[in-house]
Amino acid sequence: MELIEVRNLTKKFGSLKALDEVFLKIPEGRIIGLLGKNGAGKSTLMRCVLGFLKFDGEIDIMGERVNHHKESIHNLIAFIPDVSSLDDRLTVQQTIDYVAALNESWNAVTAGRLLSRSDLPLNQKVGNLSKGMKTKLYLLITLSIDAKILLLDEPTLGLDIVFRKEFFNTIIGEYFDETKTIIISTHQVEEVEQILQDIIFIDEGKIILHEDIAELKNQYSLISVPTDRKEELEKLNPILITHTLGKVSAIVGSDVKIEGAEYSRPSLSDLFVAKVGGSNE
Amino acid sequence: MNKFKTLIRKDWIISKKTLLMPFWITAGFYLLIIIGIVIAYFKGDVQGNLFDFPIDTPINAISYIANLSVVGLPGLMSIIFTIMLMQGALNEDVRRNCELFHRSQPVSIWLRTGSKFYVGLIGNWIVLFLIALFTFIVVNIILAIMHQFNFYVAVSGMLQAFIAFVKTGLIIGSLTFFCSAIFKDKAFLKGLSIIVAVHFLFLIFNRMFGWNLPLPLSYLIKLMTFDSGQRALVGVDEFETLNLIKNAWNSILFNWKTLFQVLFSGALFAGATLIYKNKEIK
Repeated sequence: MELIEVRNLTKKFGSLKALDEVFLKIPEGRIIGLLGKNGAGKSTLMRCVLGFLKFDGEIDIMGERVNHHKESIHNLIAFIPDVSSLDDRLTVQQTIDYVAALNESWNAVTAGRLLSRSDLPLNQKVGNLSKGMKTKLYLLITLSIDAKILLLDEPTLGLDIVFRKEFFNTIIGEYFDETKTIIISTHQVEEVEQILQDIIFIDEGKIILHEDIAELKNQYSLISVPTDRKEELEKLNPILITHTLGKVSAIVGSDVKIEGAEYSRPSLSDLFVAKVGGSNE
Repeated sequence: MNKFKTLIRKDWIISKKTLLMPFWITAGFYLLIIIGIVIAYFKGDVQGNLFDFPIDTPINAISYIANLSVVGLPGLMSIIFTIMLMQGALNEDVRRNCELFHRSQPVSIWLRTGSKFYVGLIGNWIVLFLIALFTFIVVNIILAIMHQFNFYVAVSGMLQAFIAFVKTGLIIGSLTFFCSAIFKDKAFLKGLSIIVAVHFLFLIFNRMFGWNLPLPLSYLIKLMTFDSGQRALVGVDEFETLNLIKNAWNSILFNWKTLFQVLFSGALFAGATLIYKNKEIK
């Protein structure tokens, strides 16, 4: 079953095309990475799906057509943008009570469990919390909502590595099951690579690639040879050549073999650079 | 309904400081008066007759005017704080970078704006009423001691002034609320500047070309202001005073202007909500 279906989605900001005729089908039970350079259209795509932006084209979420500002959509989708978007004027307890009262699918048991595991100061104003604490609070209120879809838009931006790990571990442990779908837009692809099942590459508002990660990686090999054998690699028509200390590596088709080379599976960031080009930062 | 209650609770929490400010100002005002009286007492300078009415002024007129006046200062404060709250009603979340958080909740935009409108206006009215009630009690105790007190007249005076300020607050608050949907900051000043600019532009056109374009500022002031009927009380007897007070209810509350004020406010609320709803969240 498709949870999200996007057809011919185009979004313009003035003369700039932020999204250009995007077609997407997002099934249930998948963890999907949305990868693109800055300004590629990742956040715009998410905001269109949430109905925050006006757009041309069609978006259906579980069969329900998304229009600009359709409140009922937010019963189906939970959304975590940058964690600093919480309301600083409320206390932790007030924030929890507020979200709990507005969401019919609020799960008090999950909220209680997450709260007991955290050291969140209930009477503290959100504005006085550290970024790590804000992340815990955002996770608590989002994962306690029994939404079918979870959209994460650069959620761990500015967090240290410990919180980033904890963030994704909590999401996988507390939220994900085969009936739900998570879409993660992040720059730190190396950290989520292990949990992702599908990947979407987006560049200049167009979907460049949307594939199962295992299948994608099976199509390519990363071959490394000493630097003096670079010419051999170039003849293989690689999609990417990179240099490391004393070695040169290339991403080539998985059926390509050369003698004396080291073989490994290419990383997502290598594949991204190969497909999209340039830096992914 | 539960969602609306939740939104009101949230808006009350974040507006509490501004809403309660008139209480502190009034408390400070009373404290200054008490300090002044205590100092005067120790200096032997206390005057027994705090109100200096002409001998022939009817008791009802004194009671009425005194009670109209007790709402004056809190009424002005109420309008100032209504403007302060309303001008951030629909743009404060954007400025504070929490718009995405609030808009991600499954709740109607109309409920969201309704709650902000409700807290901004009714919150200020409740505060105004409580301060007016307290001042009413204090002033009327003094008037009763001076045998210048009539309960019906006193309550009429206080309530009529309260309602007049409520109606002024309704218009100015709705207008500021509307401006907050358009402007990111200083919404009231920016909105007022546009109205003033259009007013003078029309005025110039009317003078230059002999046209009869409507002057927005004049209409707005007409819609906001009220006549308490104080001037009509000068020189009339007790019986006539009571009639004038009864008639004042018609000029303050039971008339077409009230209906028009409510409709105008409703239109501004609806317009503001539609503008807010159609804004993109980037």
